[in-house]
Amino acid sequence: MADRERILPSMSPSEIIAFVRETPGYFLTNNERDVSQSDFKCRILPWTTLRVAPYRDDTGYFAFEITGGASIHVDLMAKQINPFEKLRLVRQHMPNTLIQTVCRGRNLFGYRPYPDNLLQMTVALFARYVDVWRVYDFLNHVPNMEVVGRAVQKAGKLLMPCICFSTGVGHTDEYYVDKVREILETFGEEIILCIKNHSALGSPRRIASLVQALRTHYPELVLAYHGHNTDGNDLSRMVAAAESGVKILEVADHGFGGMFSQAPALSLIQTLHDYGFQAPGLKVQPIVDASDLLRRERRHYERFETPFRGFDPTVKRHRLTGGAASMAFEQAEKLGLLERIHEVFSELMNVNKELGNIWSVTPGSQILWTTAVSNVLHGRYEQPSDDLKNLLLGRYGPFPFYDPQEWIYEKVLEHKRRDGKKWYQILADEAGIQKLPDVDLETKRRELQERIKQPVDDESLCLYLQFPKDAVEYFRFEETFGKTWLLPPQVWYRRGGFPDGETILIPDEQGRTHQIDVVSTSRKEGAVETSLLVDFHFQTYSVPVGSGSQSG
Amino acid sequence: MFKKLLVANRGEIAIRIMRSAQELGIRTVAVYEETDKTAMHIMKSDEAVCIGAGPRKDYLDIDRIIQAAKATGADAIHPGYGFLAENPLFSKRCTDNGLLFVGPPPEVIADMGSKVVARRIMTEAGIPVIPGSPVLSQGEAGEREAVRFAEEHGFPVMIKAVAGGGGRGIRAAKTMEELISGLRLARSEARMAFGDDSIYLEKGLINPRHVEVQILADNYGAVIHLGTRNCSIQRRHQKLVEIAPANLPPLILERICADAVRAAKAARYVNAGTVEFLIDDQDQYYFLEVNTRIQVEHTVTEMVTGIDIVREQLRIAAGEPLSLRQQDIQIRGWSIELRINAEDPKNNFMPSPGTIRVYQSPGGHGVRLDGAIYQGYEIPRFYDSMLVKLTVYGFTWREAVDRLRRALDGFSIVGVPTTIPFYKQIVQDRDFVEQRFDTSYIDTHPQLLDYREEARPLDRLARLIAEINAYGYNPYAHDRP
Repeated sequence: MADRERILPSMSPSEIIAFVRETPGYFLTNNERDVSQSDFKCRILPWTTLRVAPYRDDTGYFAFEITGGASIHVDLMAKQINPFEKLRLVRQHMPNTLIQTVCRGRNLFGYRPYPDNLLQMTVALFARYVDVWRVYDFLNHVPNMEVVGRAVQKAGKLLMPCICFSTGVGHTDEYYVDKVREILETFGEEIILCIKNHSALGSPRRIASLVQALRTHYPELVLAYHGHNTDGNDLSRMVAAAESGVKILEVADHGFGGMFSQAPALSLIQTLHDYGFQAPGLKVQPIVDASDLLRRERRHYERFETPFRGFDPTVKRHRLTGGAASMAFEQAEKLGLLERIHEVFSELMNVNKELGNIWSVTPGSQILWTTAVSNVLHGRYEQPSDDLKNLLLGRYGPFPFYDPQEWIYEKVLEHKRRDGKKWYQILADEAGIQKLPDVDLETKRRELQERIKQPVDDESLCLYLQFPKDAVEYFRFEETFGKTWLLPPQVWYRRGGFPDGETILIPDEQGRTHQIDVVSTSRKEGAVETSLLVDFHFQTYSVPVGSGSQSG
Repeated sequence: MFKKLLVANRGEIAIRIMRSAQELGIRTVAVYEETDKTAMHIMKSDEAVCIGAGPRKDYLDIDRIIQAAKATGADAIHPGYGFLAENPLFSKRCTDNGLLFVGPPPEVIADMGSKVVARRIMTEAGIPVIPGSPVLSQGEAGEREAVRFAEEHGFPVMIKAVAGGGGRGIRAAKTMEELISGLRLARSEARMAFGDDSIYLEKGLINPRHVEVQILADNYGAVIHLGTRNCSIQRRHQKLVEIAPANLPPLILERICADAVRAAKAARYVNAGTVEFLIDDQDQYYFLEVNTRIQVEHTVTEMVTGIDIVREQLRIAAGEPLSLRQQDIQIRGWSIELRINAEDPKNNFMPSPGTIRVYQSPGGHGVRLDGAIYQGYEIPRFYDSMLVKLTVYGFTWREAVDRLRRALDGFSIVGVPTTIPFYKQIVQDRDFVEQRFDTSYIDTHPQLLDYREEARPLDRLARLIAEINAYGYNPYAHDRP
C-alpha cells in the first residue's frame, strides 16, 4: 500500500478497504449532496459543482458524495438535468476521486418501497458511475438493505451499510453492536460501516463510547462517520470519533455548508492536526481555493437557504434530520403555524416517543413531522396519513424497541375504515412487509416510448419508473432546450427578468465560450418579446404569457 | 472593352458576373423585379433598375431589359444562366439594339437549343451520339415509330422534349407499356413547359456518368477547352454535386476534350459553353447536348485551371481574341462544388422559403463561396431556392473532400431548412469518398437522408433565457414566486 498516495476509482473495494485500514490517520469525504439538500433545498447546480471540481479532485478526498437522497428527484424536477448525465460530468471533471451516493435501501431515492427488479436495475445503472454506496434503512431493518447491498457487491462497488444513530430509550451500544453483527452476517466483512448521525445527536462522549464499543467487537471493521452540524457541535463529535478509531469523516466546504449539513473540512483538519492526527494525501490549498470560489457562488443560491439562520441546539429534542430541520420552519410558516411552532416541536417530541423512538430520517422524518403538524392542526392522530398507517402496519419493518400504544393503533388503523374492522384484526390480517411484484420493464419501456416519442434506454426507463411524471417532463424539456448544466445559477434561478444590455457568457459542452446579449424586452398582446444577440446574431423570441399556464 | 454591363439575372450568378466586370473596370447595372427588391445582387451593383412588378415575368421580358440597358447607357448584356440565357431571340434583340450580348450568336443558341439539330451537327462532325430517333410523328404513327426504335435498340429508352434542356423534359421508359404511356405524358408536359410538344427518343444508358467539357471560343475561330467536370451526382436530372476534373483514363480524357473542341467548331460556337457527354461503364462516351451559357458549376473549372471564365466571356464579347492557348491550360488538383439550397431534403427537397435568421459561412484556404444571401434576408418564394454555392479546392481528391467536410461544418444557417445536412452525409459516404458514383448515386444511397437535424444548442438555451425573461422566473425550476 505504501506505493499509493491516494485512493483512486480504479481500485477494487478490497483494495480501498485495506488501504484505509492500514494507512495511519483519517480520511475525509466531501458531501456536497447533503450540503445541497440540507442547506440549499437540493438546488446547487451542476454549473457550480463543475466549477470547483478541479480543486476538489486535487484535494485527495476519500470520496465525493454528489448523488442519492432527494437529489435524483430534484435534479429532474427543478434543475432539468439527467442524474446520470450529472454523474458522467462529475466523473469526467473529477477522475481521481471516488463518487459516493446515499441510498434509502428498499426506498431507493424515494419515499416508498420499490420492487426487487427495479432496485437491482437502478443499482446496476448507477454503479457505472458510483463507487461508494452508503445504504441505510430508516428502521435499521437490515433485510430492507439486502437487495440493494447485494446488487452493489455484484457490481463490484464498495458497500457502506449504515447504522442510523439516535438517542434515548433503546439506543444503547449493545443494540448497535448487535445491529452491526447482523449487517456483517448479511454482507460479509468486505464493507465499510457508516455511523449515520443524521440528526446531530449525542455528545462527543456518546459517539466515542459507540465507536469504542464497535471497535472492541469488530476491530478489523473500518468505520465511517456521517454527521450533521445542526447543533453546531459536530466538530467535537468528529474529533471524538477520530480519537476512538473512525477512519472516514464527512465534511463540507467552509465556503458553502456548515449549518444543517456537515461541519467545515478545514476546521476539522486544523483541530485534528493539533490532536496529532494527519490526513494522508490530503491537500489544504485546494480546499481553500474551492471555498474562495464557492463563497462567490453562494449568493446566487441565497433564496434557497433557510431564512432562519443559526444553529439549532433544540435538535436534541425534536431530532429532525438536517434537510428536514431547515425546511420545518418554512413549512410551518406556509401553513400559518409559525406562531405555534413551539407547539409543533413539542408535539414532535411526543410523537417521537409514542411512535417507538425510531430514527427521524427519510422517510421516517417526513412521517413524524407530518404527524406532528397534523396533530396540532386537527387533533392528535385524528387525520393520520397513509404513510403513518403503513408505519404502524409494519410495512416498512418492525418497530425496533417498543410498539406504540394501543389507542394510537386504534385511531390510526381504524380511521376511515369502512369495513368496521378493529385495529387488532387489521394488524393480524394486513401487517408486515409486503413483497412487491417485479415491474414489467419492457411494457413500461414501450409506454414511455409512446409518451415521449423517442427511443428509451435503460437509464431513461429507470428514471421513469421511479419518478414517472417528473421524468417525462424532464425528457420533454431536454428535447426542447438541451443541457441546463451549461447555465450559471444567476441565469437558471433569475427573478425579475434580464435587463437590457446584460451579457450572459455560456460555455458549450466543449468548453468554448458563447455570448448572449440582452437587447430589449417588450410586451405585445399577452406575449413578451425578447431580443437577444446570440453569438452576435440578432434573434427575437416571443413567449406567450397571457394564460400563465406554465407549470411551476 | 465596353464600359457598362447590364446583368440580366439575379442571385449568386448576377453577383459573380458583376465581380469580374468590376475587376475589368466595367460598371454594372442590376435589374430586379419589385418582388425581388431586397435581393443582394442589387446591393452589389453600381446601379439598379426595377423592371416591373414581377414575379419572374419581368426577368423574362426582353423589351424591359433592353429598355433598362438603354436607359442606363449600358453597352453590353450578360444573361447569366436560366431566364433568357438560352433564348436566341434575346441574343438577337440585343444585337439588333446595338448591345453586345455576352454569349453565342442567336443562330448557335437556336441550333444547340434544338436537340435534333444539335445531334445532326454532331453526327456530321463525327462526334459519337447516343442512338436516337428523328422527331416522332404525332398520334399512333409516332407510337409505331417508338416501338420500332425500342425493338432495335432495347430498353431503357429516354423520351425527350426537343425544346427541353437542363434536365427538364426527360422521361425514362423501361418497358413497352411505359414507353407508350410515357409518349403521351411527355408530349403534354413539353407542351406545357416549352410550348412545343415535339419529342424524340434516345437509347437509354444504364447508370452512366455525366461528364462535360468547358470550352472557350472567340470570334475568330479559336477554340480551347478547360478540361472536364463530373456532374453525375444528380437528383431527378438536376445536378447536386459537381467535380473537376472528371476522373477519366488519360486516353479517354484526351479524346473527349478533343471531341468537345471539334463539336464547338462544328457548331461555329462563340464565347463560353459546355459540351455534355454521357459515359457508360465501358468508358464509351456519347454527345448529350451543348449548353450555350455560363453554367452553375463553372466554378470548379475555375478552381482547377485558375482561369476566370466570366472575365474571358466579357473579353470575347468585347471582340478580343482568346488570350490563352490550349497549351497554357494546366489542370491542377481537384475541386468540388455544392448547391446549398433552401430545401428540405427530408420532405422530398421541397423548397422552403423563409427568413435567414443566422448566416455564418466558412472560409480559409481553398474555400470559395458564391452566395446571394445575408442575415435577415427573406427568401422570396418566386425564384430558385439556391442560397449559396460552395466550391472547394484541394491538391488531392482526399484533401478536397476533407476541405468540403470542414467547410460544411463551418456553415450556420438558421431560419430555413437547407440541403447542408444532406451534403454532410454525402461527404462521409464511403462510395463518395472513394469516387464510386454515377447518375444512380442518389437513388442507390437512400440512407443519405437518414440524418437528424437539431437546433444549435446555444439557440435552444437562448429560447430558454427568453422564457425566463418573459415570466420573470424560471418556469422549469420549481421556483414560482
